[in-house]
Amino acid sequence: MMQEPQEPLNIGKMIFEHTGDAHDLDFGPLGQVELPRWQPVKIGNLSVDLSPTRHVIFMLLAAAIVMLVMFLTARGLTKARREGRAPRGFANAMEALVLFVRNDIAIENIGKEMGPKYAPLIMTFFFFILTCNLLGLIPFGASPTGNLAVTGALALVAFLVIEIGGLIKLGPKGYFGTVWMHIDGLPPAGAFAISLFMLPIEILSKLVKPFALMLRLFGNITAGHFVILAMFGIVFTFGHFGAGSWALGIGTVFFVIGVMMLELLVAFLQAYVFATLSAVFIGLMQHEH
Amino acid sequence: MGDPFSPTLGVVFWQLFVLAGLFFLLWKFLFPVILKMTEEREARIKKDLSDAEEARAESAAALEEQRSLLAGARGEAKAIVTEAREAAERERATAVEKTRAEQEELLERARREIGAERERAVADIRREAVDIALSAAGKVVGTRLDAAADRKIVEDYISSIGGSK
Repeated sequence: MMQEPQEPLNIGKMIFEHTGDAHDLDFGPLGQVELPRWQPVKIGNLSVDLSPTRHVIFMLLAAAIVMLVMFLTARGLTKARREGRAPRGFANAMEALVLFVRNDIAIENIGKEMGPKYAPLIMTFFFFILTCNLLGLIPFGASPTGNLAVTGALALVAFLVIEIGGLIKLGPKGYFGTVWMHIDGLPPAGAFAISLFMLPIEILSKLVKPFALMLRLFGNITAGHFVILAMFGIVFTFGHFGAGSWALGIGTVFFVIGVMMLELLVAFLQAYVFATLSAVFIGLMQHEH
Repeated sequence: MGDPFSPTLGVVFWQLFVLAGLFFLLWKFLFPVILKMTEEREARIKKDLSDAEEARAESAAALEEQRSLLAGARGEAKAIVTEAREAAERERATAVEKTRAEQEELLERARREIGAERERAVADIRREAVDIALSAAGKVVGTRLDAAADRKIVEDYISSIGGSK
């Protein structure tokens, strides 16, 4: 940019390139790391390109960070226990957070009976999504949760757990009852007609829930990045005002810092929302009659 | 590629692998360690609560027992006192009755003795009076009035005086 100040920057292209997936890791002025390209894997007549991308790398990094954090927490707690004292510091804080997710998100929404069984999945969702969200806020980082493929896969897992969990809990007959409306006080033929009419709607409502989970997480994370990048774009678009450009630059930085703070909140909030809604949907299926 | 709105299938598979691996490791190895203490603590708190409840029920039962024992003892004491009071009352009543009867008897005896004494005194006075009257009359008539017939006359007279009295 410094070499050719006259060339106008395409802000839209810049935003898309920064939020989109890529086959390299971009460290800005420090250079780029090209990621290896692998041959697509053929599954039937489906060709899947499993080459690692930027989001895959950060997804692995997020998983590694979650593992590391949980390992340190477990070690801290075990040590504290062995020494017969209360856990303190990082381990204590993480234990409180883990317990919050377990008790107030998973067990609270799924129920006392089945809650503890589903809690590990809800906790995995929460901490993985939170870490992914936060990775997008560090320099040269990227949010895997700003990728529809990632949120789609997470939502798919949630969908399968909700439905298979319901099938196991309710049995085939009871599970069929969740899509086949049961209406009392109607002649059998009428009830059958209405149930038949409602069947596609009920099935659709099952699919809409995970679809909303996918889009909500993706949209919130991507939108946050868009806002930040668009604000940086102000600097490049209106940066030729002479004396006023100083004020513009400083103002933009303050705005971006403000939005960053908001993003920090959103990172926690969206992890909370995804975990809570997954738990609520699982709980709804568990308590269906 | 290079655009957030065009997801690729490869990333979906990556995400599924990563999530499965992460979930498995956390679920099998780390969460149990982190939660073990909490679950134990929860179990301990639950046990403590039930123990406390048990102890409370036990002490309440003991208190109830004490209370009923106390009430029984109080009733018993009252019964004993009442009985003692009644016995004392009875005792006193009989003592008074006995004393009164004794006094009555003493009085009666005294009265009888006095009566008998008086009878004797009256009889003595009478006899004396007869003797005196006879000797006085004898002096008057100059003869000795000693015959049984004389005596009879005087006695009749005195009796008539006593009777007219």
